[in-house]
Amino acid sequence: MPAVRNIRLCTKDCVCLYVCPSGATDTENSIIDVDKCIKGCRICVDACPSGAISLLPDEYPPQQPKEDRVVNALRILAQSKVQQEGITAAIARSSDSTITRQFAEVISKSNRIMAEDLLRESGYMLPQSDEVRNLLESMIKNPPKDFPLEAVEKLLNKLNNNNKEVRKENY
Amino acid sequence: MRKFKCSVCGFIYDEATGLLEKGIAPGTKWEQVPDQFMCPWCGAPKAVFDEVKEQATASAPLTDDEEYIESLSELSVGELSALCSNLAKGCEKQQLTEEMDLFYQLADYYTSKVISESGKSFADVAKLLKSDLQDGYSKANAVATKKADRGSLRSLVWSEKVSRMVNSLLDRYSEEGDAMLENTKIYVCDICGFVYLGNDLPEICPVCKVPNFKMSQIGRG
Repeated sequence: MPAVRNIRLCTKDCVCLYVCPSGATDTENSIIDVDKCIKGCRICVDACPSGAISLLPDEYPPQQPKEDRVVNALRILAQSKVQQEGITAAIARSSDSTITRQFAEVISKSNRIMAEDLLRESGYMLPQSDEVRNLLESMIKNPPKDFPLEAVEKLLNKLNNNNKEVRKENY
Repeated sequence: MRKFKCSVCGFIYDEATGLLEKGIAPGTKWEQVPDQFMCPWCGAPKAVFDEVKEQATASAPLTDDEEYIESLSELSVGELSALCSNLAKGCEKQQLTEEMDLFYQLADYYTSKVISESGKSFADVAKLLKSDLQDGYSKANAVATKKADRGSLRSLVWSEKVSRMVNSLLDRYSEEGDAMLENTKIYVCDICGFVYLGNDLPEICPVCKVPNFKMSQIGRG
């Protein structure tokens, strides 16, 4: 459980530098050094007067199960948003007017964010979830020639799955 | 005296108090408010305001035989791209920078596979959007309410409001064209996608309420 600093809350009291046993909090870029951090030690978390440091969990809780009909309803909307994103992205690439391109880019970005949020709620909130693992595994079943297979394999190795055994113990 | 609520951000216009900052005197009837009136919080047009009724009429609950939502095929490349870029954002939050880069790599791959929608116009976008607003959201809200799915309801509330705002901007753009943006800035909220057209950004996003440092200005390239 490494410590992370929220730079928006940090008021530069610098107590974390004073209390950290390993020097992980003493960095130029304000990001706590994950390699130096003594995972789970939390001395800096408790010492920080502005509440700007927290511990990242090693294991995330499983997500709530999603009903198929809810997922379908969200996906119908997400598909529409993705289509609207695509049309406006094409306008943003091809129009001669800088203002038209600007407006198309705005609508495209807005739709992208809406699609992302709707799909996130359709069962893919956490990168560590079973749902994401199943999705990644399905991607490499019959991949096209130019598919970045290695990226998926790396993700499957690196992402610490919040697995089914844990789920059974807790629920 | 009646009250009218902005369906994008929830601002309420009260006929009794008027809106002095916009030069609208107390007691001004909604019909007498100028057509060019815009919501003081989010900039939405007068057309998206609805009268506040004393008794909210609850929508009729769904019955099981209302299985109107067809099941969908596998995820399209566009959906996969958005899913992967969102997972990249999730990894960023957890400071998993390598995983973030890998998910962005996948998102880029799927984006490159999206068949370009060339030859279509803003009118085609408006058509899809109007169908979302007339049909998609009411169905999705009904089913998510029935299943008491708070997360989905939250997401639907945000994107329905954003969709209304985008819809009103598309309507305006079809009338005014590029002049609509000529002398004004435009921003997109990084969190919910809300579009703000104007030079004075509100303190927080009118839809998702995130502080405005998360609202990005889109310039002219």
